[in-house]
Amino acid sequence: MSTADTRQGLHVENLEVAYNGVPAVRGISFEVNAGEAIGLIGPNGAGKSSTLLAIMGATPRTGVVTVHGHDISGLAPEKVVRTGLALVPEGRHVFTELSVMDNLRLGAVARRDKSTYKSALEHVLDLFPILRDFGHRHAGLLSGGQQQQLAIGRALMSDPDILMLDEPSLGLSPTAVDTVFEALDVVRKAGKAVLIVEQRAEFTIAFSDRTYVLHDGVITLSLKPEDADNVEVLTEAYFG
Amino acid sequence: MNQLIQSLVDAISAGAVLGLAALAIGLVFGVIRLANFATGEIITAAAYSLILTWDLGWYISIPISIIVAVLISLLMELAVFSRMRNHGPATLLIASFGLSFLLQRVYELIFGNNVRTAPIASGLAQSVDIGGIRVQMLSVTTIVLAAVLLIALQLFLTKTSLGLQLKAAAADFKTARLVGIPAGRVIGLSFALSGILAAAVAFVLTVQSGAVGPSFGVRITILALVGAVIGGIDKISGSLAGGFLVGFATSMLASWLPQEMTNFKDAFVFVLVIAVLLFKPSGLLIKGRGVVRT
Repeated sequence: MSTADTRQGLHVENLEVAYNGVPAVRGISFEVNAGEAIGLIGPNGAGKSSTLLAIMGATPRTGVVTVHGHDISGLAPEKVVRTGLALVPEGRHVFTELSVMDNLRLGAVARRDKSTYKSALEHVLDLFPILRDFGHRHAGLLSGGQQQQLAIGRALMSDPDILMLDEPSLGLSPTAVDTVFEALDVVRKAGKAVLIVEQRAEFTIAFSDRTYVLHDGVITLSLKPEDADNVEVLTEAYFG
Repeated sequence: MNQLIQSLVDAISAGAVLGLAALAIGLVFGVIRLANFATGEIITAAAYSLILTWDLGWYISIPISIIVAVLISLLMELAVFSRMRNHGPATLLIASFGLSFLLQRVYELIFGNNVRTAPIASGLAQSVDIGGIRVQMLSVTTIVLAAVLLIALQLFLTKTSLGLQLKAAAADFKTARLVGIPAGRVIGLSFALSGILAAAVAFVLTVQSGAVGPSFGVRITILALVGAVIGGIDKISGSLAGGFLVGFATSMLASWLPQEMTNFKDAFVFVLVIAVLLFKPSGLLIKGRGVVRT
């Protein structure tokens, strides 16, 4: 892919990931454009998390990944973040011994425009008011839902154009899941692209503009929001 | 009573030195999972620098020894460990053993097998009377030096962006990179800080002994490594506390064991270590059994 590529958003072409020679992702292709939410669902071991980690440069891969037309192959994760991608990892992985504010400060390390730090911080604190209330609390003392909000807030502090989330609803109460997805809707409506990997199929299909089903590292189906209530489609998605 | 207080001051001082040495190891381990056995050779290099340049004045000699320690530390990372980034902690540890032996031979070639001597800060070897209790000036200086360094390090880690990045990387390196913290920057920083701490340790040890040979830094590194492990090498504070505990225990045993048993003081310390490893293998300051990181 040359740097003359003028496409916007995230483009993944023929992505392959293998661990010790065992394929985890087998040549998948998809795109995520500004202002849209894309879901990736599938059973355990389907290759969902590997896809996100490979896009971030955190695991070896082949294939082409471009952000706004720029090939990011071979870039280290910390450089990928600077191209406009951010990942909220599975399990949240906030820095538990640091305060909420310090976690958010660290998220801003990769900001391309440092002059807008304060307004970005205000935006995140407006989106997740609980983080303002608990700003000086150790992140490890937050509940799972609050930690998820912090992890998303930290990712937003880098001012990404494309926000990727790995299992954002994992281990959260229904109320916390609602809070998280309401915030993601705001993010999407602000023009950012959102790529969500989830186990909760109905929820993801209903939220996303398109949802891809992964099976054994291959995209087997593409679903629309109206498929969320279609039991046959969901059964097909998960059991083939 | 006086003897008890004197031995307590000495033990705190010994604990402070070993705490600093363990911290030098723990800082690097936190970031790249390297228990750098060659930290001893950074200490030795700083000690040689002090001994060989002391005639120029302490205000020249001490900065030179710090610069040498930082440069050797960074050179180790650049020449050896940066090329082994994808290897596990065991491989990195073995590599650091190799590097340690290699550097000892290099020092032997350059400076010879015999020790080099110089009266480093000889004024600190005297005792002072504090409230009727005689304590070694060096012990007091060591405690003050360690306290200043720890406060400075704490301020750096909590108040500066670079320090926060290092702290985050030491807690979870993989996530730190995903957040956008540059790996090379924090790794280099951890080695540089490790070098500064090693130089401080070298200063105290050189004042104590006034002599340096090729294997000068080996014993304290073994004890510091042990301290870091029993304190919890996964945490910066764990390494510091473990190092302090081992130094404190060694010094107290040297003061209070019967004369005929003082040669076995290290053995007693290692019994303590075995006990800790049996009942708390992840380290005293790590909650639970610790997390295996890849």
